Amino acid sequence: MLLANLSKCMDVTSKLPTTGSSNPTLLVSFNTLFSSSSLSDLEPEWLDDIQKNGELFYLELSEGEEEAALAQAAANQGVSTNHVRFSEEEAEVITEENKKLTKGEPTLKRLARILRRKRRPSQRRGGGGGGKDGKDNPASSPPASILKNQPGQRSGVTVQELKEVCVYLNPKRLGGSSTTLTHSGGLLEALLGVVHRTSWSRGDTAVVGHEERLTVHGLIPNSPAIKCGQILIGDVLVAVDDVDVTSENIERVLSCIPGPTQVSVLGAGDSSLQRKTKASSPPVSQLVRLLWGEDTAELQMSIEHVPHAVMYLSLKLDSASPQEEEEILYQYPVSEASGQLKGVRGIFLTLCDMLENVTGGRILSSSLLLGKQLVHVGYWKESNNLLVIGLPRNHSSIVVCVVMTTSFFIFFFFNLHRVLRSAFCKVDHAPRLDHFFCLFFQQLIQPSRLRDGSSAPTPDVSGTLFLDGLPAVRWLTLPPEIKVCFCPCSEDFFGLRRLYVILGSCLFYKSYLIANHLPKEDLLDVCLYCQHYCLLPLASEQRVGQLVIWREVFPRQRANGGGGGTAPGYSQPRGRHFLLIVGLRHFMQCVLLEAGGCSSAASGSPGPDCIYVDQVKATLLQLEVLEAGIEDRLNAPPAPCLSCADWFLPAATARDRLDSLASSSPVFSKLAGAVKGSSSGSRGRSLFGEKARRSSPQRSLSDSGSEGQMDAGSGSGLSMAPGLSPHSTPDSGRKLGGRRDSLGSGGSDGSGGSGGLFKVHLMKHPNPFYLGTLKKTLTERETEEMYNTMKLTSGAENTLFHYVLMETVQGIFIAPTQREVAQLSGSIHPQLIRNFHHCCLSIRAAFQQSLLIEEQGGGWGLGPVKEHGVLFQCKPENWTDQRKPAPTMTYWVIGRMLLEPVPQEFYVCFHDSVAEVPVEMAFRLSFGLAL
Amino acid sequence: MFGAGQGAVLSSCETEGGGKVVWRVFQDSVMLIAVSGGGQGGTGSSKLEEVRLRRLLENVWSCMVLVLGQDELTDVKNVERLKRDLRSCFALIDQLLEERQEGILGNLTHCADSLLPPNPTLLQEALDGFSQAAESEFGCLVVHGRVAAATEKWWRLAPQEVVLLSALMRSLSASGSASCDYPVFLPKGSPTVAHRLLRFQLLPGADVCVLCGPTPSLHRAESGLVGRFWTPLVETLRGCLAIGERCLPGSVSLRPDVLAVLLINRDARRSVSFVRTAADPQPSDPPLPSKARCWELLKLFYIFSTTRYFTQEETLSVSPEERAQRGHSEDFALGFPHQPLQCYLVTEECKSFGLQTPQHQLFLLTPLSVPTFALRALATQTLSDIVAATGF
Repeated sequence: MLLANLSKCMDVTSKLPTTGSSNPTLLVSFNTLFSSSSLSDLEPEWLDDIQKNGELFYLELSEGEEEAALAQAAANQGVSTNHVRFSEEEAEVITEENKKLTKGEPTLKRLARILRRKRRPSQRRGGGGGGKDGKDNPASSPPASILKNQPGQRSGVTVQELKEVCVYLNPKRLGGSSTTLTHSGGLLEALLGVVHRTSWSRGDTAVVGHEERLTVHGLIPNSPAIKCGQILIGDVLVAVDDVDVTSENIERVLSCIPGPTQVSVLGAGDSSLQRKTKASSPPVSQLVRLLWGEDTAELQMSIEHVPHAVMYLSLKLDSASPQEEEEILYQYPVSEASGQLKGVRGIFLTLCDMLENVTGGRILSSSLLLGKQLVHVGYWKESNNLLVIGLPRNHSSIVVCVVMTTSFFIFFFFNLHRVLRSAFCKVDHAPRLDHFFCLFFQQLIQPSRLRDGSSAPTPDVSGTLFLDGLPAVRWLTLPPEIKVCFCPCSEDFFGLRRLYVILGSCLFYKSYLIANHLPKEDLLDVCLYCQHYCLLPLASEQRVGQLVIWREVFPRQRANGGGGGTAPGYSQPRGRHFLLIVGLRHFMQCVLLEAGGCSSAASGSPGPDCIYVDQVKATLLQLEVLEAGIEDRLNAPPAPCLSCADWFLPAATARDRLDSLASSSPVFSKLAGAVKGSSSGSRGRSLFGEKARRSSPQRSLSDSGSEGQMDAGSGSGLSMAPGLSPHSTPDSGRKLGGRRDSLGSGGSDGSGGSGGLFKVHLMKHPNPFYLGTLKKTLTERETEEMYNTMKLTSGAENTLFHYVLMETVQGIFIAPTQREVAQLSGSIHPQLIRNFHHCCLSIRAAFQQSLLIEEQGGGWGLGPVKEHGVLFQCKPENWTDQRKPAPTMTYWVIGRMLLEPVPQEFYVCFHDSVAEVPVEMAFRLSFGLAL
Repeated sequence: MFGAGQGAVLSSCETEGGGKVVWRVFQDSVMLIAVSGGGQGGTGSSKLEEVRLRRLLENVWSCMVLVLGQDELTDVKNVERLKRDLRSCFALIDQLLEERQEGILGNLTHCADSLLPPNPTLLQEALDGFSQAAESEFGCLVVHGRVAAATEKWWRLAPQEVVLLSALMRSLSASGSASCDYPVFLPKGSPTVAHRLLRFQLLPGADVCVLCGPTPSLHRAESGLVGRFWTPLVETLRGCLAIGERCLPGSVSLRPDVLAVLLINRDARRSVSFVRTAADPQPSDPPLPSKARCWELLKLFYIFSTTRYFTQEETLSVSPEERAQRGHSEDFALGFPHQPLQCYLVTEECKSFGLQTPQHQLFLLTPLSVPTFALRALATQTLSDIVAATGF
């Protein structure tokens, strides 16, 4: 295929100088090579996942993660003694990827094979079972290519655990109530007590017609099935009295049972229950499972007792037809606790109607006591329909509830349809909505569970709330020497109109935004999408093998038709917009495409175009070069120096620490003695000196840790594009340099040399795909000196603990990276950060109020707030010394809103010893970091 | 109301533009609903209002109990009669609703608004003697609507009762009578048994009252006791009245750049508050907020800080369910892993500073001209000045 590439650097609101556009020729050749190779030989592995409406959500973990999953699964084996059945039919049926395996399985390798093959169909499930040929793409997973299947051939090998359950059935009990048979459940419900909703009735139209397995979707109270206690929701009914059953023949089989008898029911168990009792951490994080659309039942079950619900109610009640629950257009979830909320929906309807008359404003929120629990309810009214979301008090304050409702609304705007109503009322949206809300509530109610296996032991709820609530994306400040330029190239087919115009794109690395060419509004929309699907944490914690997302979107600004169209005679083209997200390992690029306008108009629901996907993929592969630079930045000491709270506590913890240090070094023992002697005084300085040295082994440790990851990364990077051998050269060079860096940073003397070496390596191996954007001219020492001079606080000691700076115009915020925070380990410090975030929530609420005043004239009585600060006091935990009172440390958390010259919000946390002027600090920060 | 069958009790509601509705059921029998229309640009409307509305409901209920007794309200036999009876507490409720008198924050803080007289011992001795003679342990001297002196037992009443009795005294003395005998039920202490509240006007603006049983009669107390105990102290009382709304004796010198102060003694549940009258109308830029606005700002700042940062004693002591009834705002304060000690707010009108010590809470307003970093020193100095001079 002939491709002509037009390299075009989209520069919408570029924050970074786009130096990369200087050598477009290299870029072009690369693109051609890559896309043509992948186009001609192989179909991309995500092709089968595309849904009928063109949407795609394809997520594949990297090899490293899969191995971990396998090891976990292997560890689990041998516990259950159920037998294994291999069958061809079941290949697409089984979605559970960590089924337990039996003892007899010989080696891990075999396991791996089985599981991997089993994974494929499970990934495909999001697509609604489009096709079933599991065609492995050698480009993506080389180990799997050994077992590459021929296209079209189905060789599903499945591990399945079966259980036999004896149930007592009495068909005579049905005698009188013949009516029950007429409704959908039939004998299955009436006799056995198993509720099975056919896929058709669930609105899942994409299911392959004929036979369908009998998944237990529900159990009827007092039925034989529930009484026996072994049939669980999610199980699959396989056979009754040795007769294989499907949705086709179950009614016939059951009707053949003559009288009261014991029937053995063979069921393929969903192993969720056993897994739970074993309490082993699931191999693949819950989040991924949730995204894959698997196993929502278990997660849902764990929050069943928490009253939470979303309902979409119609305000127009047709009194002529008093049907039950007619006003409920949509509802999720169906559990007991939320049923209570459903029961009182009359309140919501009445309040919505009445309060508008009384107070003259739409209802925003209300709180009510449900049993003993306080539940907050947020409302959104749109024409004649009312969206109600209820959340328990423990998990969110009422403000959050309202915000969530609104942002959810916006999200929907962006995501599905222009009107809420159409999103809720279309039948085939129901499963997607279910999935959506499942994610929504899981994130809200048990965020820790989704991210288990991650490093954070205590989830910082207010931190998440605060940082996610900011209308901004986390920006990673890179040294000016590392310039990121990525140029999504638009392509023209000869003689054809372009399919899409690239409106802009943004690039994330490990959840940090590192480059953006999108207008702010679009950026925020895209970010909201990523946040909802937890894509950012996914990319930072788990190495994503490959992620391809494609869907039609409705960006707020563009959908409204307003926004940029200020120039006379110019109106925004009214096209359709598509969001393409491609993730490779820690990188993730989001591209917003427009069809219509100056490109050809899209008709129907087009799926992702290989060329565009490959292009983005190619860009990401090129950017791998940058990974070392970014990792360096992430591993570097915090740019504005940060202090750890624990250092400021005179005795106690500091003493403990020193004691532990003293054992290793005679110098420290002296120091410890000094500090023990005089609890205050010169503590800070001496501790700092010691800390600076002390932190280095820690850092190099973390470096080597990431180094290992990097190794794996480059390995799989190679595997992604096997034909591109030159790519490996800079990789190894970089690795070498990186390692030396990390070693050198321990003793600051050697670092200069290693920095130079690094540079030499890069120079020696000119990479044809090297954009010339990664320039590291400063030696390590120089950078370190630069960092050291970046001090926000005044006075001799650095008293800064934490900061957040938000740039409203660009829609980004800067905060110390998680790694920077982790470096400052300590017992008090994490607590302090939690406290800081909690306080920021409060401060920001105050700022929001004052902005409201300016907009509506309403707001609150205190008037516009410019600055707000709180002084906190903390004590070391577990203070055992009875004689002396616990030492205390006081620190300020201050928020400052600047409207001039550019709107900024600045939150800072520093020790109480020096009086600071926050404005000055904010300016120092924003200029020092050179946004 | 609607959801009781389903086990759901509505507690509050919020609408666009700051409108708020708050429900609360008392004693499982009476439901009070407070509605605040948001309104555009109304003074002090919106956000913080929920706390106020909750306080209002509480106070209104206490008022009704104070006047009518709890039994009357819970076992309603004749609704029409109850309605008629309730009229007698309308005056008091109106006072709560309108907050007419400037500088009375007790309704909000549930701390008795106090006035610190220049020579407290004299007044205290006189009051103790007077109460003893009136066969009562509960006596109180009210000057300018604020408690100037009270017997020890009086301070042991629930803070809410002290506040309410002060409010009742204000409304009674506003009626202009020289003395009266008024039956009161104590909402916490004796919600079902009435006591007699004897009130005597000593000077215009200065009243004394005792809570007593069936004896003595109003006449005997007025003719025999009032003159005996209080005549020698007329000059002292005049001195008290002269303090006016400053509430602090002249010996306490305050820095000139303090606009308004609210000082709460957390143990005694007493508060002193004042707004500096613009003695020297210097043309400052930007203009200082008016006196009424200062009071409003002080109240708002109090609500702001207490709901967010400073826990109040009562919130810690109440049961979780009751706390849930009071609303969500207070549990924000409980969410901090570390203890907030001080906070400040810079708005367009003034700067506000609040600090909390184990003994006191201090809230003060300063003009914008005061540099932010000096606020803390100013506040601590003010606190130590007042405490040192008066022993508050």
